[in-house]
Amino acid sequence: MSWYTLPTGVPWLTLVVVIPLAGALLVALTPGVARSVIKQLGVLSAGLSMLLAVAVIGGFQHGVGNLHFQFEESLRWIPSAGISYHLGVDGLSLFLLGLNALLFLIAVLVTDPEMPRFKQFMLLLLILEAATAGIMLSLDLILFYVFWEAMLVPLYFLIGVWGEGQRIYAAFKFLIYTVLGSFAMLIAILAVAAINFSQTGQLSFDWAQLIQHPASGIWHLPLGLGTLGIQQLLFLGFALAFAIKMPLFPLHTWLPAAYTASPIPVVIVLAGLVSKLGAYGFLRFNLALFPDAAHSLGPLLAVLAVIGILYGAFMALVQTDLKRLVAYASMSHLGFIGLGIFAGNLLGIEGSLVQMINHGVIIAALFLVVGMIERRAGTRDRAQLRGLGATAPLFAALFLVVSLAALGLPGLNGFVGEFLIMLGAWTAFVPLAVAAGIGVILAAWYVLRFYQGSMQEAPPEPTTFGEVRPIDGGVLAPLLALMVLIGVTPGFFPAAVEATVKALPVIVR
Amino acid sequence: MKIDLSGLGIDYGAILPELIVVGTAIVVLFLDLLLPVARRRWLPAVTVVGLLAALIASLPLWGQNRAAFADTVVADSLAAFFNVLLIVITILTVLISPRFLRALDLDHGEYYILLLGATAGMMLLAAATSLMTIFLGIELLSISLYVLSGFARSVPRSQESALKYLLLGGFATGFLLYGMALIYGATGSTTLRGIAAFAAASGAAGNVLLLLGIGFLSVGLAFKASAAPFHMWTPDVYEGAPTIVTTFMSVATKSAAFAAIGRVFIATFPSISARWYFPLALIAIFSLFIGNLVAIIEDNLKRILAYSGIAHAGYILLGILPGTAAGFSASVFYIAAYAVMNFGAFAVVTALGAGGEQTADINYWRGLFYRRPFLATVMTIFMLSLAGIPPTVGFFAKLFVFQALVNAQIWAPLVVAVVMTIVSFYYYLRVVVVMLATPEEAVSEQPRVGISTSGVLGVAALATIALGVFPTTVLDWASHAASLHF
Repeated sequence: MSWYTLPTGVPWLTLVVVIPLAGALLVALTPGVARSVIKQLGVLSAGLSMLLAVAVIGGFQHGVGNLHFQFEESLRWIPSAGISYHLGVDGLSLFLLGLNALLFLIAVLVTDPEMPRFKQFMLLLLILEAATAGIMLSLDLILFYVFWEAMLVPLYFLIGVWGEGQRIYAAFKFLIYTVLGSFAMLIAILAVAAINFSQTGQLSFDWAQLIQHPASGIWHLPLGLGTLGIQQLLFLGFALAFAIKMPLFPLHTWLPAAYTASPIPVVIVLAGLVSKLGAYGFLRFNLALFPDAAHSLGPLLAVLAVIGILYGAFMALVQTDLKRLVAYASMSHLGFIGLGIFAGNLLGIEGSLVQMINHGVIIAALFLVVGMIERRAGTRDRAQLRGLGATAPLFAALFLVVSLAALGLPGLNGFVGEFLIMLGAWTAFVPLAVAAGIGVILAAWYVLRFYQGSMQEAPPEPTTFGEVRPIDGGVLAPLLALMVLIGVTPGFFPAAVEATVKALPVIVR
Repeated sequence: MKIDLSGLGIDYGAILPELIVVGTAIVVLFLDLLLPVARRRWLPAVTVVGLLAALIASLPLWGQNRAAFADTVVADSLAAFFNVLLIVITILTVLISPRFLRALDLDHGEYYILLLGATAGMMLLAAATSLMTIFLGIELLSISLYVLSGFARSVPRSQESALKYLLLGGFATGFLLYGMALIYGATGSTTLRGIAAFAAASGAAGNVLLLLGIGFLSVGLAFKASAAPFHMWTPDVYEGAPTIVTTFMSVATKSAAFAAIGRVFIATFPSISARWYFPLALIAIFSLFIGNLVAIIEDNLKRILAYSGIAHAGYILLGILPGTAAGFSASVFYIAAYAVMNFGAFAVVTALGAGGEQTADINYWRGLFYRRPFLATVMTIFMLSLAGIPPTVGFFAKLFVFQALVNAQIWAPLVVAVVMTIVSFYYYLRVVVVMLATPEEAVSEQPRVGISTSGVLGVAALATIALGVFPTTVLDWASHAASLHF
């Protein structure tokens, strides 16, 4: 099914990556004092990317193509090292691409042009968009790694230069954690290609090649310390990178610092999108390249995911800083996505794919709401916020919808993904599904307390808390629309990704 | 009496590039004497023209395997590759020199003569296939650099650095020469071809004399490549020498030294690689540790880059460890990448330093993005590349070396290299963060950097990114150049 057919012969996916880069180049050439021009350039390139992403999603034909990939582009890049420029989009990446474009458009829109060093901020934001889009589209492992590392530098500076509080500390912690994971993955990537070379005689980093010959064999530890399965070892190399990015308990300690220090446009991208890239990496690489290891190590990671659900939820309960509260809520919800992935069955993975979109939409909206509250009330301290809804009923109503979606009310989007994940987890490991259910209850607790505490009750003194501005409503509107739309058409996303998920080696086996 | 020279293989075509560089040095020497002071600005122009001629003369050597002068030098792809690399480095150095020299009142003709002498020595070293010519090349480049380090005659730091370099360098030369003597004693040959034939025979791996000789030879070469633990001179000399000299020698000396290391270990002693693997791996690991860890605590940019250079010597050595042409090609690519990005980084220091030496202090760099956006931007590119962050050439340099190690299943040095790369992010990104920080106090404005300097910096920055996006061509060249054989 698709709504229309895009003309062939146009490198659509390259355009998705190049347009933000071209925008960044134009921004770089604009003098820093021309703030409104820079803003317009940013909105223009992010908007164009959005249109392009929508065009690709509309033109995508489900279940068609080699390995269900479409809009494939494959060019020789470094043939002597087996590296190619191979882009493609399938069910795993299709909707993330849309989320990418949407969240960056929102981030660009809510960026204040009067901020210090606005030009550099916009420049880095656009480079970041190109890198994240490249991550979702790359089908060559080295190309993927290039984009994965390229994402790091803009994020480091966006947190470290424009952040608040302990920004240098937060940025550096984020950097060290991420780089640690990246290099573990790089070594695993090189080893995967080397093993494939010894099996097939072909040196290739192409995902479509590597997926056909899963690594096998046993690695003998030195000094007779026992043996490890090679596939398990490689799985762990990739898993470290993605678990840190996601983040999975106990590798999450960079998260509260980084989320709290980031300015709102950055945290939207960081929580809404970058965390999803970790989950996407698990699906694209861990489950596809190492199906046996996914079966043997999946339960362990599922346990970590459930610990993350409960830990994040309990931490969210005790926070007084709203930004930290949402940060831990995000971690808790990401645990669900992890649980669905590591359940390793059709329902769980479909649910996690749906929930990736939902989480991006909901967390972005929650951080936007926190930013709006902070700008109007001058504080993010839960104890000082009372009865803001009295003077801003429309704002309170919008916030209510976001809250209800976040706690998983049926009829809104959060429920769809969580329900599928719980079904998948139930067939895989019942106790974990039960424990995750407690997380759902806790979510209702901290989300409603957040909403009721700040919006309801009588204000202690007459507030001047303002109503939503058109720009606030404008950026929240598409997110709210998606929450309702996904909620009332729960079958759409699972059907759209089913063909791809069914072809994943971890399901096939 | 008639002396028969036919057996010596006299072949001036094989060393034509070196001859042109030496000839240019002599021409510049006389021009310096004859030209009136007002016409001194002709000297760099003549130097560049001579170097361009040598560059063109190097190109026909590509693809050949032409042993000359009784097997003491060879004209092959590796020599051509390094000739081009070294000549380009020298040309770029000459292009940014006049402004810097005038600012420090060092605008003497000897500078260009010494620079050309050092270049000729390096080119000879890259083409040398005999212990004698290796020694000749090393001495020619070293003596020129000793003088250049002390070129700022009125500055005590510069004097100190020259003396330090001379004393320690002389000591290292002693090791080198002693090693050569032992190797000659063991094998009865001074040409690498003869030594390789001896080493390939059975029993060579147990020949203590030969192994000791290789050890001493390695010390001498590692000193020139500034690999730890033979690096002690590097930070002091780099800091004290005029920045333009540091720029040149930090990349050119290391490149030439690694060409020789490749010829010795990859081409001459592959048969006993089990013997030299462990000491060489240890040197690489030491360099990675010392370079990356000490760079963290330094506050002087020239010293940070000196330690970073020691660390990069470690990465380049990693490519030698597998003992194969495939591994060495990764090293050769790394050398080219290092030359581009490290030259650029030092050139930025040079461009800033036209006003004096205190500019290497990292506090001077606070807020550089607002005072000198161009310099700060290119410096950021070089720092990211040195750290190995894509899409820069530094990333692929590290990638290919790591790939060579994985393919050869060499794990322990690989793990060290990876961990130390993570450490290196700290000090490279620190420079960028400092440049982005708001300056605490107003710094007096320096004169603009000038067209030739900005041109050189722009070319280096563009090359850093372009080679990071399209590394294929240079990689193919590197693997062709690295396929050595006797």
